[in-house]
Amino acid sequence: MTMHVKHFKQNMLVYGSDVYNWPEGVREAGLKALDRSPELQALLADEECFEKVLKMRKYEEPGIDLSGRIISATQHIKKKERSNPGGFFSELLREFSLPKPAFTAVFVSLIFALIVGFAMSFSNPSWHVSAEQYKTNLEEFLYYEGEVL
Amino acid sequence: MNIDIKLSHLDDVSLICQIQKGSHEAFAALVCRHSNRFYRITYRLVSNKDDAEDIVQEAFLKLWGRPKLWDPNKRAKFTTWFYKVIINQCFDHNKKKKPSDLPEGMEEFVDKNPGQDALLDAHQKQAILERFIRELPERQQLALNLCFYEGLSNNEAAEIVGVKVKALQSLLMRAKTALKDKVERYLYGGLI
Repeated sequence: MTMHVKHFKQNMLVYGSDVYNWPEGVREAGLKALDRSPELQALLADEECFEKVLKMRKYEEPGIDLSGRIISATQHIKKKERSNPGGFFSELLREFSLPKPAFTAVFVSLIFALIVGFAMSFSNPSWHVSAEQYKTNLEEFLYYEGEVL
Repeated sequence: MNIDIKLSHLDDVSLICQIQKGSHEAFAALVCRHSNRFYRITYRLVSNKDDAEDIVQEAFLKLWGRPKLWDPNKRAKFTTWFYKVIINQCFDHNKKKKPSDLPEGMEEFVDKNPGQDALLDAHQKQAILERFIRELPERQQLALNLCFYEGLSNNEAAEIVGVKVKALQSLLMRAKTALKDKVERYLYGGLI
């Protein structure tokens, strides 16, 4: 199949000046057309020059350890991410570098202290106020410094 | 950077699955594999090394914070999706920032002195070329950067830009034609 100048030019703009890199479907026809036509050869040489100019474009390499910078920036975020209570406790364990039995002992004694505290406060009747005591307190409040409020 | 060899052999989909389970090692492997590639396109779009590095870092931070944003069932490759994320960030960044100026005196030169290439050194030519590329419509710039500078296939570039392949090819042709015209007039005095 013959490739016309217009079609050749379009392919050149889309796929570049290296005809060998064109997709299979158009490569063969492009190479044949190029072989026969001095006009296309001139066009191709022109495109090669233009691509050289485009490749002059300034480019600065990234810093030596861009990956390392990104990875370390996410390390502290990791500690904030907690999806479940299990994750929270395992992170806590890592944070304090406690061996698992020691951590369990601390955890159990905390729970025990909490239970004992609750039991003691509920068994102490000091917060119970009798009806008589309540009445006296109310009177003291109402007759504050001899005046009725 | 020490990366687990087993992880470095996993494909992107498997790494993301690991990341979604909270594996920081998998995240590190993904960053090492792709950070330079995404830096390149970012640099092309913002023309500043520090800004480009910050944008790439920010994008990866987002991925680490919300790895489920990428859904492998939606068919898009991870890199295609992440290109889109990065490109959106670049455009947002460019909107906030005023357009970069040419070196002193270049403005007038470009406007009034076509064909005076002998008076320009390589650095100045680079600056002018950069300006010409930046003057292209956003999608033409993208097509040129993705296909010509990054060497992506037309199909992948089309998916990233969000157009059909024919439309992408048309963008690329228009970008190159417009650029060539300007380069001929202002940089090489019609030699190209």
